[in-house]
Amino acid sequence: MQLFLQVLITGIMMGGIYALVALGWTLIYKCSGVLNLAMGELTLIGAYVSLTFYLWGVPFLLSLLFTVIIGFVLGLITERIFLDKLIGEPVLTVIMVTVGLSFFFRGIVEFLFGTDTVIFDPPVFPMQPIDIGGIIIGQVYLWSFVAAIVLLIAFVAFFQYTRWGLAMQATADDEMAAMSLGVSARFVYATAWGIAFIAAGVGGTLLGNINGLNISVGYLGLLVLPAVVLGGLNSVPGAIVGGIIIGVLQNFSGAYLDRFTPGGVKEIAPFVFMVIILLFKPYGLWGWERIERV
Amino acid sequence: MSYLPCGVYHEYYRQDHAWWQTKFVIGKMIFLALFLFYILPFWGGLYWVGVANLVTYTIMGALGVQLLIGYCGQVTLGHAAFIAVGAYTATLLMLQLNVPYLLSMLIGGLVAGLWAIIFGLPSAKVKGFYLIMTSLAAQFVTVDFILTQFVSQIGGRGQAFSLPPGTITIGPLVIDDDTKVYFLGVILTILLTMILANLLRSKVGRAWIAIRDNDIAAETMGINIVFYKLLAFFVAGFMGGIAGAFWVSNLAALSPEHFQWFWSLWLVGVILIGGVGSIYGTIFGSLFMVLILEGLKFAIIPLTPIYPQLSMKFLFLKEATFGLAICIFLIYEPNGLAYRWWQIKNYFNLWPFSY
Repeated sequence: MQLFLQVLITGIMMGGIYALVALGWTLIYKCSGVLNLAMGELTLIGAYVSLTFYLWGVPFLLSLLFTVIIGFVLGLITERIFLDKLIGEPVLTVIMVTVGLSFFFRGIVEFLFGTDTVIFDPPVFPMQPIDIGGIIIGQVYLWSFVAAIVLLIAFVAFFQYTRWGLAMQATADDEMAAMSLGVSARFVYATAWGIAFIAAGVGGTLLGNINGLNISVGYLGLLVLPAVVLGGLNSVPGAIVGGIIIGVLQNFSGAYLDRFTPGGVKEIAPFVFMVIILLFKPYGLWGWERIERV
Repeated sequence: MSYLPCGVYHEYYRQDHAWWQTKFVIGKMIFLALFLFYILPFWGGLYWVGVANLVTYTIMGALGVQLLIGYCGQVTLGHAAFIAVGAYTATLLMLQLNVPYLLSMLIGGLVAGLWAIIFGLPSAKVKGFYLIMTSLAAQFVTVDFILTQFVSQIGGRGQAFSLPPGTITIGPLVIDDDTKVYFLGVILTILLTMILANLLRSKVGRAWIAIRDNDIAAETMGINIVFYKLLAFFVAGFMGGIAGAFWVSNLAALSPEHFQWFWSLWLVGVILIGGVGSIYGTIFGSLFMVLILEGLKFAIIPLTPIYPQLSMKFLFLKEATFGLAICIFLIYEPNGLAYRWWQIKNYFNLWPFSY
């Protein structure tokens, strides 16, 4: 029972970060219909930018703020250079452009920062774990979870209550109607990419705080896919719940199933789970049920 | 199909259906054969033979991807998994059971094809993005889990299967140097290309193309969609398996690291750059990607004195270039190199009366 709760809590904490990145993914898909396979590289970029600032001696929160600003600008640039020209192209073309982008970004990041693991030094969060009724939680996990939740709430508030957020919702809902009401679709697409960069960058920074930062943080971008498939591709609450469920599931399979195999279940479980979802409920928990029957 | 040159007319269906319809094309083919079997291997030097081996491997792998994406419309981002299955099956048969190389290559191809059918099954129900996700799962489940954790334990050889020299033999001939691998690769590539090209102009190929263009219309025409989709997965997996089993002959040791997700994406990138839905495209794309990256290697040699770490970081530069190439091609030349080739050829065929 102790182990069960421990694994559950850790899973939820990790899932919070996944949810944050998944939110960015869903946002791009909802607003512009782009299925983005470069999400992992966006997390890498954000994480390395904030790490660089932090190692220069900038306080953590300030470096996170810089990451957010740089991420937003990079998002706008990326959308304008690459994705803007592809509006209306076939799905495969757009997906492969994001794959190309992921290689491009990854190559650049590796070129600039190398492949060795780097850590936030001195550690941002206290190392002393917290003991809640026998369940031990590292403070890093706790604070990352808090940060992820705060950011999630901020994003949801942004969509519900600001002018830009409402414009984005309108575009996601019905592009033609939104355009006729004076919403600039191109502006919305660019903003969606900017926000996705922000979400991914903060998620990457938090993950980098937990285990140190190297190129494998980009693996997160692939974990986002099971999360969004589970939640429904175009559902924001689905992305959040899906991210948390995938986090929990991953930790459970690591804790309980790993002993039956030589290892590696933890990395694979989300994908196996994804195939099962795809077979039985392809539109996920709250996605639009607009699957074309074959 | 491209246009015939001015002034060429056919009187028999046999002529109309021939692969090589004019003397000029036959001449080109003879020159190509001369180049492939004599000039390149004997005069080209070992370096270019090595490069050519990589090209043949890429072509063989990409043919299956081309069949799935370009001709059947089933997008796959996990083809390296099937290549890996072929490579591991062939290697295990040779090392554990001493099966002859060609036979184990064939069995490897068949096993890879069956494996592809398993992961093609969801295509009966979903398509588009969801099918991409399934193929992604195929990649990770096969290579990162089954092969790394279970298959690599067979025989207690550790993570990488080392292939002692002299393991790979065809009859009395031992495949042990680059030139012999080259001949094997070229012959296999020609065989596979011929098989695919001939399949595509048969009933099966037309069914695939119908499914790609409009699957609902294809079904109303009486095509058994599930059967033909699974057949496409089988053939693509078979070709991948043969490619994997061929690549074993070029390796000193086989490990899951040769079949990472990168390689799947690489193959898809190759056909996108070469041209989707064209066998030429597969070949052009493979040549282009391999040669461009080799050229990049030469291009940075003069720069190394200025920035010494450049050669160490070459791998990353290669990755970035590959990504950028895909993006640029998709944005500015979405039909790929094969379309350009088609235009050039038609220009000369129709010259001087191009209207």
